[in-house]
Amino acid sequence: MTPNHRFPRAPYALLALGVILLLLGSYLGLFVAPPEHFMGDVQRIMYVHVPTAWNALLAMTFALVCAIAFLFRGDFRWDARMEAAIEVGVLLAFLLCCQGAIWAKPTWGVWWDWDPRLTTTAVLLFAFIGILALRRFVDDPVRRATWSAVATIIAYADVPIVYYSVTWWNSLHQLQSSPATVSKSFHLPLRMNAFAILFLMTGFIMLRARLASLRLEHELAPPPHELDAVGELA
Amino acid sequence: MIAALRKELLLQWRTRAQAIAVFVFGATSLLLFSFAIGPNASALRQHAAGFLWLALLLSSTLTLAESFHAEMEHRALEGLLLLPTSPRAIYYGKAIANWLQLALLGIALVPITVVLYDAATPRLGSLILIILLGTAGISAPGTLYSAMTSQTTRGKQMLLPLLLFPLIVPVLLAAARATSLLILGDPMEQTASWLRLLAAFDAIYWSLCGLLFDRVVEE
Amino acid sequence: MNGTITGGWGFVWSAYGLTAFFLTAYAVSLFVRLRNERSR
Repeated sequence: MTPNHRFPRAPYALLALGVILLLLGSYLGLFVAPPEHFMGDVQRIMYVHVPTAWNALLAMTFALVCAIAFLFRGDFRWDARMEAAIEVGVLLAFLLCCQGAIWAKPTWGVWWDWDPRLTTTAVLLFAFIGILALRRFVDDPVRRATWSAVATIIAYADVPIVYYSVTWWNSLHQLQSSPATVSKSFHLPLRMNAFAILFLMTGFIMLRARLASLRLEHELAPPPHELDAVGELA
Repeated sequence: MIAALRKELLLQWRTRAQAIAVFVFGATSLLLFSFAIGPNASALRQHAAGFLWLALLLSSTLTLAESFHAEMEHRALEGLLLLPTSPRAIYYGKAIANWLQLALLGIALVPITVVLYDAATPRLGSLILIILLGTAGISAPGTLYSAMTSQTTRGKQMLLPLLLFPLIVPVLLAAARATSLLILGDPMEQTASWLRLLAAFDAIYWSLCGLLFDRVVEE
Repeated sequence: MNGTITGGWGFVWSAYGLTAFFLTAYAVSLFVRLRNERSR
């Protein structure tokens, strides 16, 4: 490890804070909060599901912000942040789809209930996995950054359209309405978990962005005999 | 842009053997889908619209993947970009040409669907409108992504569907629903709202992709 | 929705367990990747 790579503490502090809050919030949600009137104990899934949903959307929105910032500024720090936000967004969206399926099974008897929010998340999940794949297959850093920024903007523009199409499709099929919102009697575990996952997400994105920057540095500073190739990239 | 479009259409006319191959591919997939259902007349009719659009979607990746082939083979994209036309004109020329080709393919697949799935509809005009709007939705982002993936050295075949398919979920949903309503009857007059959704998708992506295209091809 | 859904703790536990597992797995993979990249 080179000495000039500082070891900033902020992301680790955020991760630690997130873990503590998540444990506390989940404890309250699982054991202290009263069971919901209709859903019973199954409703406790909401205390982790809803915070995940908020943060997944937040991560993907941050990816969009990074994409636009990169296209306007051309600064590779935004590219690193975008890569980080996309990857963490994919993780959260994947968790969200799993939790949604686990919620739907006891509630409606099917794993997938075509809830517009859940379906939109699934579409966005696959779109973002596609962008991560694109990044893997493009070797030129400038092209990789520009193309994935373009693809991120295009994928994000799909969100409202997918949402409306699934909503209409559902209303025509007269399926059950979307999951009931969390009972008003106990908001505390929900808020705690929301901030917990927010802290975890921020810590993850910061660390992952640093990883992306390090990788780019190594990519641009290959062994001496490859220096000619770098000249062409610049 | 007119010149770019004319060039594309000329090119497509010269490579019409390829368009015929894509059509045969689409027809074959329709045949395969019908085997997956089996000889159940009502089930076949029920799924006809969805399968028509799936076949069109799968064939479209072949058309789109080839659409930058000529430019890549002779490094002609750089040459095109040196011309005093904007990249935007090149994009729209390409996208319109792809759209026409896909729309023709869709219309050509309709008789196959009618025969295989017993899915006739009296409202041919509406059906053609749905095919035009739906293929426009596939062509706009498809042309942009094709410009990206044809410039990559690895993973060409895989990347285009991987990027394109999640994006055009609403097109597939809306077009398949609207077509299905035409075939099975539309007691509640819902076709129009699906057409509006398709038109909104087209408007967003035809403008957005045109705006972003020059970032994809610039060096 | 007719009547209260009773039980279902298995679903609750699997949802929380899955979330915890994948968050931990991602954290571990992140640390490993960062260490590998730093030691290059």
